Amino acid sequence: MRNLDWIVLVTSLVSIVAYGLYRSRGSNTVDRYLLAGRTMPWYAMALSIMATQASAITFISTTGQSYVDGMRFVQFYFGLPIAMVIISATAVPLFHRAKVYTAYEYLEKRFDGKTRTLASIIFLCQRGLSAGLTIYAPALVLSVILGWPERNTTFLMGVTVVTYTVLGGIKAVTWSDVQQMCIIFLGLLVSLITVFVLLPKTVSFGDAVFLAGAAGRLNAVTTNFSWNDRFNIWSGLLGGTFLFLSYFGCDQSQVQRYLTGKSIAQSRLGLLFNAVAKIPMQFFILFIGAMVFVFYLFVQPPLLFQHTELARIAGRSDYSAIAESYQRGFDERRRATLAMVDAHHKGDTAAVESEIAQYRASQKQIDRARTQAAHMVTSSGGEKDFSDTNYIFLSFVTKYLPAGIVGLVIGVIFAATMSASSGEINSLATVTVVDIYRRIRPGASDHHYVAASRLATLFWGAYAVIFAGWGKHLGSLIVAVNVVGSLFYGSLLGCFVLAFGFRRVGGTATFVGMLAGEVAIFWAFLFTGISWLWYNVIGCVVVVGTALAITYLAPANGASAESARERTPEPG
Amino acid sequence: MPQPPEPDEPPPFLGTWRRVYTAILIYLVVLIAGFYLFTRAYR
Repeated sequence: MRNLDWIVLVTSLVSIVAYGLYRSRGSNTVDRYLLAGRTMPWYAMALSIMATQASAITFISTTGQSYVDGMRFVQFYFGLPIAMVIISATAVPLFHRAKVYTAYEYLEKRFDGKTRTLASIIFLCQRGLSAGLTIYAPALVLSVILGWPERNTTFLMGVTVVTYTVLGGIKAVTWSDVQQMCIIFLGLLVSLITVFVLLPKTVSFGDAVFLAGAAGRLNAVTTNFSWNDRFNIWSGLLGGTFLFLSYFGCDQSQVQRYLTGKSIAQSRLGLLFNAVAKIPMQFFILFIGAMVFVFYLFVQPPLLFQHTELARIAGRSDYSAIAESYQRGFDERRRATLAMVDAHHKGDTAAVESEIAQYRASQKQIDRARTQAAHMVTSSGGEKDFSDTNYIFLSFVTKYLPAGIVGLVIGVIFAATMSASSGEINSLATVTVVDIYRRIRPGASDHHYVAASRLATLFWGAYAVIFAGWGKHLGSLIVAVNVVGSLFYGSLLGCFVLAFGFRRVGGTATFVGMLAGEVAIFWAFLFTGISWLWYNVIGCVVVVGTALAITYLAPANGASAESARERTPEPG
Repeated sequence: MPQPPEPDEPPPFLGTWRRVYTAILIYLVVLIAGFYLFTRAYR
């Protein structure tokens, strides 16, 4: 990092915090602190929803994903617009009219206290686990790439987030998110332009796209179906719809964004903006990764992008053979690439086909060498299932991007971490106070609950930072933590589907259904190879099926009080 | 006194929410078709 990078980074961080705090003045009642007095305009909610969903690892990982596997990851988001339409039509008006602070508060109005408590606890477990990871994962990558001590990065990001979230509440979170998304968009645009500028003079934009396609990196739609494949059009449309229904309809970190809306219409517009903008944004991020791949067709990339692990294995006796094979593979791939561009310019299809075959053979040699190096990392005491995907983009940024832009991209990583983390901490505090504490100690003053909310925010912020500080001891558990969301979302979704769509179903049937849903999801997780994207579908179907079965087969236990009243004549 | 339920305002464009939702679903279909053609064109 050069001086200009530091100036850009510090300026962006300070301005984010200052602007968020400035806009959050007067957040001194529970309604204002937790829901911004329900005054937020649609565009602030729209960007806040987007920012909360997009953590730093989304940007780091997505570009790397495209580099190694192409753009098919974009299909993961195909279900998002469908989910947004369903939520806008159903959940948004119901939540708004019920005047609730949390999604789970609605469950008590609709079912009973125990269903609300179970849903709240499921949320606190799931979101609490991921809160630390949101900070830890980018801190780890930044520490490896920039050589910063991991604890310093974690501490800097954590303290910044906790400060403005505790002081300003949801208004500070939302307005900071707006500015963070502006920095993220700017950083991504500048990155893409810079990649094109860095390509050889003889390679045009059209050539770059042609090469990315020939390398199989522009596979935005794949139509083959497999239960174990996360990224195809079918899992995206069906599994993705359920996943995003769960995330945007049942996860307080998202629900709280649109509960702050001035009106039902403003909240709907905030969600529908995401329905329109999210897929193109992900396509754009993946396209950057594909172009970074094209850049490395001409400039030799390191054997592994995680340079500390690479340095560790470089002294081993069997390393040199792998490095030589990798070097030969790269030289041949570069030659084939240049010949391919030349043949493409001349319109010589036969020569293009021939060079593509050469290219693929050399790419296989490169992939083989990288796989062998990754195995060497694992076998020599490194991380289990080692992968350097998350290091590809930042390695490129720090090595090849000019002064100032590096600071901007690092600012993007910080901004994305802070926006995702602040949303999580804020929503965890809200559920803790509204769904747990306020029921244990009802009837206290507004001032008391604001103080309790600030304390809860501080607690969850400290928890996230401490958890992140212990991140390196988690090892491969980090992968498991990523799956945790899917282990719980299906049951929550099933619960809300029953709440919105099945008036006869009561609290007991829903409660038992949720427990059955969890059993089914854990069974799929532990005993089958089914991809986690399908857990939401399984959980939701089992919850709804079980609750309906109880309601209709044993109506005395399952039916809601309302429908029970309908069946039982009033005395007198 | 109970407050009146929050009114369902019309969207700022296309007249009704049903039309807005339909437009978004059509947009999704067009987007996927565009990506499919993009994939085929550069395969």
